[in-house]
Amino acid sequence: MKEELGGGYRGGETTSFQSPAQDHIEHVIDLAQVLDLGKPGMYPVRVVGQALRERGILDGDILIANAAADPVAGKVVVAFVHGSVLLATLERRASGWCLLPAGKAAALPVSEDAEVWAIVAGLVRVQV
Amino acid sequence: MSIFALCDANNFYCSCERAFNPKLKNVPVVVLSNNDGCCIARSQEAKDLGIKMGDPWFKIASWAEAKGVRRFSSNYVLYGDMSRRLHNVLQRFSPRVEPYSIDEMFIDLDGIDGDLVEYCRDARTTIRRETKIPTCVGIGETKTKAKLANFLAKKRPEFDGVCDLRSPDDCARFYPTIPLDEVWGIGGASARKLAALGLLTVADLAAVNLQEARNLLTVTGARVVMELQGTSCLPLTLLAPQRKGLAVTRTFGEAVTDWDGMAQAISTYATRAAEKLRRHGLLATAMTVFIQTNRFKPDDYYGNATTFGIEPSQDTFSLIADALRGTRSIWRQGLRYWKAGVMLIDLIDATTAPAQFFPTRDPVESAKVMQAMDSLNQRFGRGCIRPAVAGVDRKWVAKADYLSKRYTTRLDEIMDVSA
Repeated sequence: MKEELGGGYRGGETTSFQSPAQDHIEHVIDLAQVLDLGKPGMYPVRVVGQALRERGILDGDILIANAAADPVAGKVVVAFVHGSVLLATLERRASGWCLLPAGKAAALPVSEDAEVWAIVAGLVRVQV
Repeated sequence: MSIFALCDANNFYCSCERAFNPKLKNVPVVVLSNNDGCCIARSQEAKDLGIKMGDPWFKIASWAEAKGVRRFSSNYVLYGDMSRRLHNVLQRFSPRVEPYSIDEMFIDLDGIDGDLVEYCRDARTTIRRETKIPTCVGIGETKTKAKLANFLAKKRPEFDGVCDLRSPDDCARFYPTIPLDEVWGIGGASARKLAALGLLTVADLAAVNLQEARNLLTVTGARVVMELQGTSCLPLTLLAPQRKGLAVTRTFGEAVTDWDGMAQAISTYATRAAEKLRRHGLLATAMTVFIQTNRFKPDDYYGNATTFGIEPSQDTFSLIADALRGTRSIWRQGLRYWKAGVMLIDLIDATTAPAQFFPTRDPVESAKVMQAMDSLNQRFGRGCIRPAVAGVDRKWVAKADYLSKRYTTRLDEIMDVSA
């Protein structure tokens, strides 16, 4: 029995005139692949708040956090600070790495109670 | 010579909860079994408070809450995905990684040059960084030795999380300190039998000659002794074994007293079992169903089971019909049921199964409907589409009142970060 095409037509499997495209069919763009979501250190997280608006990060945005990435000064990171989960900017000082929490004026040194959880690698805004 | 490492997550379920919740740091955490019954995972702080594996939460709740213990329902969606992440990281360190259980992975280190302890330390740091899960690693020439090394790495801080038990000197030093029931494959009964003969530690067992070991513990025991002596008998398994049977059984969240409730529960379990069958490409040719009241009230306990052959199938609707027919035959009105289950047995490979002369359901139609159901459930979450007989207002569904979010697999449940 021949397989019914139904919703399975992908641009190449025509019934009468052979499709000149049949050897050239490609898949839809896979954003999970573009964003590397299959990697074990990748975590999507949701932004709550507007403090990083100037960096183009808005309330409700999905950020792709990469726990495998190395720290780089100036990057936005997801941080665990005294029991809260927040966005911060990573800074390099003479004394070592520091976190400048979003919307705050004072940076605090990276420590047991102020850790980098992952580096923000990408941003997804489902509705513009 | 083969070299194995065993990478074992510390208090895995608790560590998964901690990975996404900074408020749990340094706080005692427990994860409860299905139906929020007993403690099945405890953080170190919870162990230090004296909470034991299997302690019923209701018995310890009053003092544990006063001590600040945080309890969670088991979130297997999250734990399963975190286990995948752990496995993925390890595959960077060796192409051959056996997921032995949700939180233990055997790694084949054969052919890897250099300092293996450093190598495993690196693996451990990488796992911690990318999955947030703390682990310990044991190294040995056999799986049994790797497992013992892992035990030492967990118990003795001087190893700093990685223990290599390959050198005879280290075996001589540590074997006498490990009790026999820590050995993989030696259960409590065997340990007691050996203790009666004066064999108390791993050193005692490793010194037994093979003939004697076979007499004492059959061929399995002899294999354990060989493995302890450094001869590998258990190779890495990279494929999960084909299932011979498949069970879905649950304790209810509240007692079921009427047939409708029981029919909903049984239909739900049959639905779930059918999904598993299809995922593994199998057909069931026989089935067991059981129902029981509270077994802790032996006076008016009723439990019964029935096993029967069925038309070979992986169709949810025909398996529900079979399961309900079976349940009907053991159902007694007027009782308070607490548990039920559906077990599919005598499973056969769907592709090589003989065709049926007079199938009750059109196999082509059935396959189409099942495929549609599976893909909808896969896309929109399990149970999104289910047979009406499985119920809408389902009071018997097991309690999971303290469930954390499915942070890594559901877009509407990902971790919030404040800005």
